[in-house]
Amino acid sequence: MLNKLRFLSTIILVGISGILGSTVGFASDPPPADEVGASVSIRMYQVEGILPADDPNSPQWASVPESEFNLAPQVHWPERIQEVTVKTVKVKGLHDGQNLAILLEYEDPTDDVKDAAAIEFMVGDKKAHFAHGQPMLQVEGGPVNIWFWKKENGKALDMSAKGFKTLSTQEKQDVSATGAWADGSWKVVFTRALKTEDEEDVQIEPGDWRSVAFAFWDGALVSGVPKEKGSQKAVSSWWSIRAEPSADNSIYGWVIFGLALAAAFELVVVRKLRKGQSA
Amino acid sequence: MKGPIASGAILLVGVFVFIKYLLPLVTAPLPASLIYLYMTLAFSGIMLYGTMSASSLESLMGPVFRFLSGEGQSGTGKMARLAVLVLFPLLVGWQTYTSLAPSDLPPGENRTIHPAPPGEFVGLANPYQNNEANINMGKGLYAAYCSPCHGANYDGKGPAAKGFNPPPANFADPGTIAQLQESYLFWRIKKGGVGLPVEAMPWKSAMPRWEVELPDEFIWKIIMGEYDGAHQSPRTWEEDD
Ligand code: HEC
Repeated sequence: MLNKLRFLSTIILVGISGILGSTVGFASDPPPADEVGASVSIRMYQVEGILPADDPNSPQWASVPESEFNLAPQVHWPERIQEVTVKTVKVKGLHDGQNLAILLEYEDPTDDVKDAAAIEFMVGDKKAHFAHGQPMLQVEGGPVNIWFWKKENGKALDMSAKGFKTLSTQEKQDVSATGAWADGSWKVVFTRALKTEDEEDVQIEPGDWRSVAFAFWDGALVSGVPKEKGSQKAVSSWWSIRAEPSADNSIYGWVIFGLALAAAFELVVVRKLRKGQSA
Repeated sequence: MKGPIASGAILLVGVFVFIKYLLPLVTAPLPASLIYLYMTLAFSGIMLYGTMSASSLESLMGPVFRFLSGEGQSGTGKMARLAVLVLFPLLVGWQTYTSLAPSDLPPGENRTIHPAPPGEFVGLANPYQNNEANINMGKGLYAAYCSPCHGANYDGKGPAAKGFNPPPANFADPGTIAQLQESYLFWRIKKGGVGLPVEAMPWKSAMPRWEVELPDEFIWKIIMGEYDGAHQSPRTWEEDD
């Protein structure tokens, strides 16, 4: 009897405190103070119907929640640059189960021929360094897939890299992009199939997280030369992105199951206690 | 009646204050998940102790059992019991929902910030004299190469810092270089982010691999300048014994 009661009381209290603790969030750290407000991820929302895949100004984009990331002048490897035009980028994503569209929106006071923007992804299971998938000393790294839009020809290149000076245009081009400049801002929308046949490409499986990074070049001419070019650009390091999985109603089933289980548990405990007390 | 419950509660609060506020005075603060684990352990310990004998069991759990069973309750007691019985399943349901609902938080990654250095770097001594000329040369090099990320004030707030995740180390914080030996810094500066082992996630680090640009002499002198500028001193071998 004593043992049973001990067991019961420990279970009740530890169980309740466990549930309380994780619900109230004691068990996880809040984000560090200077990261509050900045995003850590992008959700590509699933839409029924038409994807605004080649129209950065489509009214459909207006209602999509955005993520925002800070950018840094590229000072990680030579040639460095200490000051860049693009300081932050706002990112929105949509997919329709087949194709995806990612909209980048950023301030750049002038529309210049040499302006450019790029999105970078890790490919496959191997971790790749955000700086062009450069080799790491103790970790076998993987390649990166880079989608590179240039204002100059209004197109996107589908590229791969595994280290500095290895950036190359893929044989199979799967990405397209459209840019529109107005009032000191670029909006560039990239689109691709979620999945491709090309093993050099990132494959987007709805529900799975992928790593993503960004780069921007302000091509404004200073004494006849673009202000930013090559490795002199605005960059970010890795953030996370995923295509929203299709709505899953089984989750409500589990919630009801949890409710019922907890209620049944209470019933048993209370009945046991009443019996114990009258005995 | 209140005795054992109150002293258990006081003990728990004491343990919490100790690991949350007192321990960080001497070591790095613990992550919330670990604090939570320790609290659960302390709690289970108190429960086991309090339920050791029949009489202690009665004084610890008696009030709780009577409250839950509802025998002979009226007024506020009755209402409180009802509230607890209704809230508990709702909490479980809410918990189920939040843990299953698609979240915009990517899975947490526990990055080891200070992994063990490779053997060949352990115990290296700075071969340059700690004098003003060397410190000043180090500070000059720091301003040129390091300050864009780590900041002119050694506080990790350089103009490039905001774009990087994890952020550049704040050397003025007692949790970074003050905890480390000069040989450790020498390793980190020479081999950079890409020199980190897997548990430190080298693919995320923006810390450059300076061996491709700076001779060892510069790195040792930068280390002197860095400690001096950040008003910290390196951890020495004696402290480790
Ligand atoms: C491109 C930005 C950047 C530049 C430039 C840079 N660092 Fe770093 N550094 C980082 C980042 C980000 C980290 C944190 C991630 C890591 O530990 O690798 C870091 C970490 C460090 C650490 C490890 C601190 C610790 O507590 O473990 C040291 C030491 C360091 N940097 C020294 C330097 C020195 C010296 C220079 C100049 C020669 C320099 N860094 C230049 C970005 C930079």
